[in-house]
Amino acid sequence: MKKGRAFPRVILTATLIYLLIPLLATLLYSVAKSWQNTILPESWTLGWFRDLFMDPRFTLSLWRTLWICFLSVGLSVVVMLPTIFIVVVYLPRLEKLLNVLVLIPYAAPGVVMAVGLIKLYSSGPVAIAGTMWILVGVYFVAVLPYMYQGIRNSMRTIRTIDLIEAAELLGASKLMAFRRIIVPNVLPGIRVSVLLSFSILFGEFVLANLLVGGQFETIQIYLYHRLSESGHLASAVVICYFLVILILSGILLALSGILGRQSTAASKKGSGQ
Amino acid sequence: MSYLLIENVNKTYNSTSVLHELNLEVMEGEMVTLLGPSGCGKSTLLRCISGLTDMDKGSVHLEGRNITPLAPKDRNVGMVFQSYALFPNMNVYDNIAFGLSMKKKSSQQIKSRVEEMLQLIDLTEKAKSYPHELSGGQQQRVSLARSLAVEPKLMLMDEPLSALDAKIRKHLRTELRQIQKRVGMTMLFVTHDQEEALTISDKICLMNQGRIVQTGSPDEVYSKPKDEFAARFIGSYNVLSGEELSMLLAEPAYSKSAGKYALRPEAIHVKQNSLGLQPTSTSSGSDAAAHICLGLVEEAVMLGNIIRYRIEANGVRLLADVLNGDQAMKFHEGDAVQIQFDRQACLPLAPSGT
Amino acid sequence: MLKKRMDIKLILALIPFCILIIGFELLPAVSVVMESFTGNEGGFSLEQYVSAFTKMFYLQSIKNSLMISAVSSCIGIIAGLFIAYAITKVSEQTRTRVLMISNMTSNFAGIPLAFAYIILLGSNGIFTILFEQWGLPIFSGFNLYSWSGLILVYVYFQIPLAALLLYPTFYGIREEWREASALLGASTYHFWRRIALPILLPAAAGTFTILFANAMGAYATAYALLGGNYNLLVIRIGSLVAGDVFTRPQLGSALAMVLGLTMVLSLWINERLMRRVRRDLG
Repeated sequence: MKKGRAFPRVILTATLIYLLIPLLATLLYSVAKSWQNTILPESWTLGWFRDLFMDPRFTLSLWRTLWICFLSVGLSVVVMLPTIFIVVVYLPRLEKLLNVLVLIPYAAPGVVMAVGLIKLYSSGPVAIAGTMWILVGVYFVAVLPYMYQGIRNSMRTIRTIDLIEAAELLGASKLMAFRRIIVPNVLPGIRVSVLLSFSILFGEFVLANLLVGGQFETIQIYLYHRLSESGHLASAVVICYFLVILILSGILLALSGILGRQSTAASKKGSGQ
Repeated sequence: MSYLLIENVNKTYNSTSVLHELNLEVMEGEMVTLLGPSGCGKSTLLRCISGLTDMDKGSVHLEGRNITPLAPKDRNVGMVFQSYALFPNMNVYDNIAFGLSMKKKSSQQIKSRVEEMLQLIDLTEKAKSYPHELSGGQQQRVSLARSLAVEPKLMLMDEPLSALDAKIRKHLRTELRQIQKRVGMTMLFVTHDQEEALTISDKICLMNQGRIVQTGSPDEVYSKPKDEFAARFIGSYNVLSGEELSMLLAEPAYSKSAGKYALRPEAIHVKQNSLGLQPTSTSSGSDAAAHICLGLVEEAVMLGNIIRYRIEANGVRLLADVLNGDQAMKFHEGDAVQIQFDRQACLPLAPSGT
Repeated sequence: MLKKRMDIKLILALIPFCILIIGFELLPAVSVVMESFTGNEGGFSLEQYVSAFTKMFYLQSIKNSLMISAVSSCIGIIAGLFIAYAITKVSEQTRTRVLMISNMTSNFAGIPLAFAYIILLGSNGIFTILFEQWGLPIFSGFNLYSWSGLILVYVYFQIPLAALLLYPTFYGIREEWREASALLGASTYHFWRRIALPILLPAAAGTFTILFANAMGAYATAYALLGGNYNLLVIRIGSLVAGDVFTRPQLGSALAMVLGLTMVLSLWINERLMRRVRRDLG
């Protein structure tokens, strides 16, 4: 079977090299002072990162992006948790409709979403185009498919209906049962979809560019503007951006590993705090 | 005066009738089992009593009070689920305390009651454990304690033992019955397992297709099945048509009867053909009530403590159970045997579905 | 089912969701549909669709998008099939590592990706200059800011996606099936021909539709690489509704409808195909 193993290894090694070269090049470029005619840069510097962190526009855009991601994902949790709960438990006939509504964004690319939003919100009673609020709204919609999947699966795992019935028979009101039983048991199960949504929004460019552009500079828009100015600085931005994504996906991977191994234990830990 | 009274309950799901003009009475402190095949409506009836499912028509009275219009949480009815439905985010102590804290009991009251319950189910040392750390049997005991803690007037149990292994199931049902007797709790227990129903109940209500077919003590339900369904479901009775019975007994009198007859497999004795019977001859033997005839063993199956024979006698197929003791004669496929049973053991059955 | 006591409170709790869905999903969708059927002078008209499908400029953008998506998806699928196969053949540890890196690089898309390729293969790119110096004419005729450059960059994000989507299907083809077929006298060729391929093909076709939709909707990569200079459907839509010079939202909406319908069609085909795969794999 040795021959059978060598071929897959060659394929995978080639794949990894192919996938990592652009990343490595960006990394090297961000720490290169000059890099002209050699395989590796001739001299090194951390100056580009220093310049970057000296630029208030960068730090501001970074905070802005984190803030808007946090806001949109938070809004999604706060709104979707009760919505899905009510539909699943009390209005099961509406579940098909809900399912269609949350899957629409999956089929609509950012550009198409932007077209309708620009028309609606550029003028008229709710002229929020160009402000961060239009982004929060559309980001809520953009992460719906992921959040819905996460919450729905989590509710299925804990057998929501059984738990609610048990709680009601023990004298709990609907609100009480939702707060004390459903929320603490569902939350640990949706950490993965929360982080996934977060990292998707963190790298979002289309909607931000078309809907708010320079008026609310997110990290991606900042990067785009820097692109034409200085290649080295831009690569430093990419590296920083990628670090954030790496940290996020690291947490994501660790979480899904824990959750995969013993989902019940994880749910217990999360709610005990 | 009945403690729980259920009158004329009707329930229809998507135009199929699940419960049909159903009536039921339960006395205080009784353990009543709703026994029936899956889909017979027994769980639905339980859920109607708890208020988790609305019924289309009918009423539920508990202690003389009509609880039909009340919300589940106001009915003072406890329920144990097949899936346990323990709250995964709470430990055993908090699970048992949940109902009490919903009733705004003082923490001192809660503590003493929870400890009492833990002792009752013998899980005091597991108070701080979380549901996933317990075995299925332990989880179900906690679930029982959680429901008992709030002292409900009636306890409903929806197939509480079905998710457990056979061994634990047998052990737990004994324990359940003991707890029920000790606390004096009125219980309505749903199961599809006739052995379980026979061992733990004061009274069995046999259900089929949304109706209660037969009600009675375990002994009555087992030894006097009312109709063909009861006979087939409760034991593996031989159910014979009038014509078959007249062939078997060689008495034409039965052949005109439209009804059916049940004959318990263990009521048939299988012996060596010592009388030298010929295939068509029959004999009444020494005892006038006993019927003896020749049979041919078609199949012999070992079931552990009994051997089940499939025997052909006078053109009729019968199942006969014989205790697998040291003394038992063992027969094989193709053996000619002499079978004997009491004519009185052939029970006339009421037509099914009324 | 719980007793249906429809509290007014329950309905109230659904209001935030309804507002957000109506405001940011349904109304915009309706507005796109309505706009696309509005003439330049107002009123109902098919004018925009006529423009979209007759004017060379727009027709070309549709054609370019379809071509780039199809070609990049084909390359992605072929590479993805090999990689997914390889992933199932290596040790658990290697597998996790490869999956992790594929997953990670799937975040490396859009602007940062376009930028990385500019560093590597742009007119002053490292590889471009190096190869020129070494006298290797591999990239001499190559222009990153063109059709072929765009394909190259698209393929980069298509390959890991294809591998990640195909890998579960390969994994689902169980070793026992191969053993069972071998015991029944089938050769390796027969196993692949009669058992593995019939399962793989719909999965590959389904994955293709996802890749295709993914490429059709990709905006940031093309925008960063070529700005408004290359004629792609997404780029056209973007500049028609939010351009610097002049905007024609009605025509933009009509093109958005074309794009949206293409996506829906792809995903619908995918759903049909994957249903079959799921059935086969149990």
